[in-house]
Formats: sequence, structure tokens, C-alpha cells
Amino acid sequence: MDLTLAPGCAPFSATGGIFMASGSGRRGAFEFTGGWRDFAPIAFSNLLLSVVTLGIYVFWARTRERQYLWSRTRFIDDRLEWTGTGFELFLGYVFAFFLFIIPFALLNLLLQGILMRGHPGAAAVLGLFLYLLLMYLTGVAIFRALRYRLSRTFWHGIRGGADSQGLAFGWSYLWRTVTGSLVLGLLIPWSMTSLWNERWDAMSFGPHRFDSNASSDRIFLKFLLFYLVPVIVFIGGVVAAALVAGFASAASAGDPIDPRAMGVILPVIMLLIYGFALGLIAMIYYAAYFREVVGNLSLGGLEFEFDAQTWDWIRLYLGNIGLTIVTLGIGRIFVGYRNWTFFIRHMKAYGELNLDDFTQSTTRLPGQGEGLLDAFDIGAF
Amino acid sequence: MPLTSARSNPGLPVWHYDGVSGIRQQRLLRIEGDDFRLVSPDGAGETYSFADLIARDAQDGGAVFALKKRPGWRIGFAGDVPKEVADHLPRVRRYGGLIDRVGLWRSSFIFALLAAGAITLFLRTPAAVARAVPPSMERKLGDLMVGDFGHRACAGPGGPEALSAMLHRIDPKATDLDIRVVNLPIVNAVTLPGGKIVIFDRLLQEARTPEEIAGVLAHEIGHVRHHDVMESLLRQLGLSVLLGGLDGKVGGYTNTLLAATYSRDAEARADGYALDALNQAGVSPEPMAQFFRRLSGGEMKGEGAARIMTYFSTHPMSADRAARFDRAARGHGGYRPVLDPEAWARLRAICSSDPEAEKPGLRF
Repeated sequence: MDLTLAPGCAPFSATGGIFMASGSGRRGAFEFTGGWRDFAPIAFSNLLLSVVTLGIYVFWARTRERQYLWSRTRFIDDRLEWTGTGFELFLGYVFAFFLFIIPFALLNLLLQGILMRGHPGAAAVLGLFLYLLLMYLTGVAIFRALRYRLSRTFWHGIRGGADSQGLAFGWSYLWRTVTGSLVLGLLIPWSMTSLWNERWDAMSFGPHRFDSNASSDRIFLKFLLFYLVPVIVFIGGVVAAALVAGFASAASAGDPIDPRAMGVILPVIMLLIYGFALGLIAMIYYAAYFREVVGNLSLGGLEFEFDAQTWDWIRLYLGNIGLTIVTLGIGRIFVGYRNWTFFIRHMKAYGELNLDDFTQSTTRLPGQGEGLLDAFDIGAF
Repeated sequence: MPLTSARSNPGLPVWHYDGVSGIRQQRLLRIEGDDFRLVSPDGAGETYSFADLIARDAQDGGAVFALKKRPGWRIGFAGDVPKEVADHLPRVRRYGGLIDRVGLWRSSFIFALLAAGAITLFLRTPAAVARAVPPSMERKLGDLMVGDFGHRACAGPGGPEALSAMLHRIDPKATDLDIRVVNLPIVNAVTLPGGKIVIFDRLLQEARTPEEIAGVLAHEIGHVRHHDVMESLLRQLGLSVLLGGLDGKVGGYTNTLLAATYSRDAEARADGYALDALNQAGVSPEPMAQFFRRLSGGEMKGEGAARIMTYFSTHPMSADRAARFDRAARGHGGYRPVLDPEAWARLRAICSSDPEAEKPGLRF
């Protein structure tokens, strides 16, 4: 049996052997079929149980949320299924806590002691070592979280995974991140895309390996926008100063503007311009980055595409922030839902998938969850 | 509709993934006692036990089941399941095994009670554990944290002697304390594990009388005697474990809030200890009250004000605190100076007269 996903074909006719996915058909390859009203009881009961268990329930809460989101997500002809458990997430956190958090706290104490004893050199060396170790572990954590999520995601009774444990990726992450920050950060796009390629190339789903060929060339120009921020802030500051002075003199012709008031207003305006420019450019760059990395990802005969534009990302973020503020923080329980539906709405797939050789993954199943990632409080993608 | 007899009924149609291939197959489910048989269109079949089934979330209104130890193995029913099959099937887990059994509201209530108990226990235990920590271990921890301060500790001529004379007045039996003046421009004094008390030089400079320093010292000794430092370290550790699962910010706020409540209590207890010690030693607590007023009042402004904030940050100031020292002075008499003017001058110059002492300022 085959599944083909091709533009123009009758979508998902699972007759014959080939499954077909189409971006231009009535239904895309990805579709979210749930609704926030269905999700609300899950979100609110999760919040309640998390509060009364002093947060311990969050691992089970996260699992329930994913079970819902995955099960309401159709890919081609069948739903995704999340098979992770709350207990394994909990176990992962406990492991990470004893293996990493406590040793780090102790080393930090030691660092303070060395500093207070007056050995700044030794303290700096230990501090640098701790910093690099943390960076290495962050890389390992990102890899392992992705591997865990793929290994718990089933489709057609088949799961994903990776053979590598992510230790090598940790080194890559370390040296590429350090290198990326050299030469005024010009290599950051390269470090981001090459790390994405490296970790996705190690991942597989069923019998097929992911193949990722993202390149930093196509997003580099957008990255250069970051270097415009100081210029924008400077010009914006000059314009603002002129405007403020103009308004002030127009409003009270006889009264010259108080230079101290200017001294307060101008920095505030500059800060606003800085935040706005930086946020906007970050959105422009990140939207381009995500289109690039997902657009160059393939699995077997399937090609993926992500079509969210800068404006879509801005709406997602402003929506999340607004939702959180308006509801005094309670709306945060819907942020995961919004992020997932955004992701699925913009995911596309084309190509063919032959189900006859779509067999079970032979990768090793990781034993526990995303503990290390939780410990460092970072996201997987 | 009997499903048990193969002859009269072919079985209940189910869709099936075997977890090996991704092809969705059609099977007929036949009950065989506590087991069931999945029959393929060509008549072949495999037998499984109902006890090995795990309920998964329903899809399109049809129940779905997984099989123990067979990742990816699924059977799914289209629509309602006849009662005779349904009776054999496990129920769907909703909130988690335990909560499903007890019920959401009832278990929330039980969890809330347990949480309140756990918080109380976690806040009470550190005090008991702190007392049980052997002094040698506490000293080692103190050494690990600060050691001997390297070149920062001051020892100008006559300074350490004046300091130990002051200590002897306040607490004649003290042999386990290690008090040092450190050359840093901070108006504060801190207590570290293992009976280490650190007075920062700037505090000496801001004080007008030795009684003010004696008051501060007695307060810090109070912390040592009450094991406050170990207790707060243990509490911080306990809280971070307890609240670790909460989302970063929520845990952090709760942590800070609880810690602040407890540190206020500890400060009040240390003040009480200081008052007793001063009165027994015949040292007037009144200058301490004036010192508080001077710190909180408008007398020190500008550059000094920012530094004084460091004292507030660890020693919450209130009019009550000064009034308490004032009240304690009432009705007492016969106070004697804690140091003679010469010794006081030496103590104040403990850093400036010590050529070995490192210059103020933080190096990195």
C-alpha cells in the first residue's frame, strides 16, 4: 500500500498502494481537528491538579495535553498518537535533578569559596569549565528531547526515534555555538542551521531516516538585519528628539523645554524603539529560519514545508502574551495548545509514502523523558 | 449476537495495526473465554489475553486499545462496542490511575491537604535538622563557602584584640566563634555556617559608638546560637526540591515569599537574643536603637544611602525594631562602655592600619 502526497492528486485516496499528500487539495497533509472548548476541561483540570500537588502533576498534565493534541492531529489518513507517560517524565526530572542540578549547586558553592579565598584565576577557570559543561549538556538535552518525542509519537502504529544517544551532538552544539558567536556573531545562522541538520539527520521515523539540508545562505540577509538595530535606534532617537522638541515648543511657545524632562523621555523612547526593532527583526529572521529548516527536511519520499510568515509568528506571540495578560496568567494553560495548532496549521507535506515498506522503527526506546531539558528549562525544536 | 461461536457469527470487525508494519488491517475479534482471537480475512488468527489490553484515547468515537509489551500494536472499534466485548475491556485512563480511582474533586482535596502538610513539614524540619548538624560539619561547610577570606580579613595593630575584648564582654563563654572584619565598603554584617561572623569595614566607619557594633555583633551571635544560617540553607534546599516541579516563576515567587517570612522571624529572634546578651553584659542597647534610626532616617543620604540599602536587604528595618531596643534600655541602669576610646579607635582602624589588607573593591 502506498500513500502519495502530490499537488493536484486526489488527496489521500488510500485505494491502490500509494498514499498521496497534497498541499493544494481540499485537505492538507496535516490537519488539526480539535477545538479549544474540547481542550479547556483538560487544561483546567491540569491546572487544578498541578496546584494542589505543588507542581508534581505537571508531568502528567503535559502528557494529557500532548495526548489530546496528538490525537486531534491528522497526518494524511491517520491520527498521531502520543504514547509517553507522566511517570517517565517525572522520572527523567528526578534523574536530572540528582545527576545535574545538585552537583551544579555544589560546584557553584565551591566557586564562591574559591573566589572569596582570593583565587580569581582558579575561580575563572572553574567558572568557564562550568559554563562550557552547561552548554554541552544543553546540546545533549535538546537532542534527547527530540529523540524522546519522536520515540513516543506513533502513526500507523509506527514510531520514530534515533540510534544516537546525543552525546556527540553535545560536542557539536558546544563548538558550533562558540564558533557561531565569534566574528560579531556572523556565523550564528550557520551554527543554527548546521545543528538543525545534524540532529534531524540522526532522527528517523519507521524505517526512514530524516534528511535535512538546510542552508544558512538563504537566511543570511535577514540575519544581517540584526546589525541594523543600532542604526534604527540612533535614527529613531534623533527623530524622536526632534518631535518631542517640536511638540514642546508648539505647545508652550513661551516656555522652553525642560532639559531634564528630555533626559527622561528620550531614553524611554530609545528603549521602546530598541525593543520593537529587535523583536521585529527576531521575528523576521526566525520565520525565515523555520521555513528554511522545515522546508529542507524530508523523510523517505515525503517533503515538508512550513509556510508561516513573519506576520503569523508575530500574531502567535502577541496572542500568547495578550491571552496571558488579559487572564492574569491563567491563559498560559492555552499557550501550548496555541503553539501546537499554529505549528500544524502551517505544516505541509508532499510526496509519496509506500506503506509496504513502512515498518516499525528499530531504534532503541529511550527509558525516560525530557528531564535534562526540563532541568535547563528549554524547548525542543 | 453471540460472538463466542465461530460458526454462528464471524466476530466483531476491528481495525488493527500489528506494530510491525504500518498497514492498517481488518480483523474479526472473537471472544475465547478471557482471551480473544483476531481473525484475518484468510481465516488465520492470533490469540491474545484481554488482561493485556491497555485502553487508549478513543478515535472518532471508537474505542482504541494497545497491547502490553507490543509497541504500536492497536485494535480499534468503529462505533459502540457490544456489551459482551465491552465487559472484557479495560477502562480509559483519564487523569492518571490513582486520580481516576478516587475521583477528580476528592483527590484534589486530598492532594491539597497533603500539600499543606508537606509545606508545613518542610518549613518546620529545617530547624530541627539544623540543630542536629554536628558543629564540625557546619564549620567545614563554612570553610568551603568562604575559607579565611584570604587577604581580605583585616588585622591592624590592636584591632583583633579590641574585637575579642568586645566579644568577651557580650558572650564571655564564646570559644566557637570566628569573627573577622573584611575590607569591603558594605554597611552590613553576616553570619555564615560554622559560627563565622563577618563584619564589613564600612559598618565600623558608619558606627558612632562601639555599643552600636556590639549590638550588631550580639544580633549575629543570636543567629549563630539559633542555627539560623544552616536552617535557611536547608530550607532553601528543601523548597527548591519541593517546588522544583512548578513552572519556574511560580516556584521562584513562592520560594522567595516563604523564605522572606521565615527570615523576618529569625531576625526578630536574633534581636531578642541580642537584647538579653547586651543587658546581661551591662552594655546599653540604646545606641543600637539610634543606629537603626540613623540608618532608616534621613541622616545619611547620597552615596551612603545606596550602601545602607544593603543592610535593609538582609535586615528588614522597622520603627518597631528601634523601639524594641529603646524599651529594653528603660529601667536598666549601670551600663558601662563596651570598649575604651583607645580600643575603639584601634578597632575602627583595623583595616586602614593593616598594610596587608586588600583594598576595598571586588575583583574578578
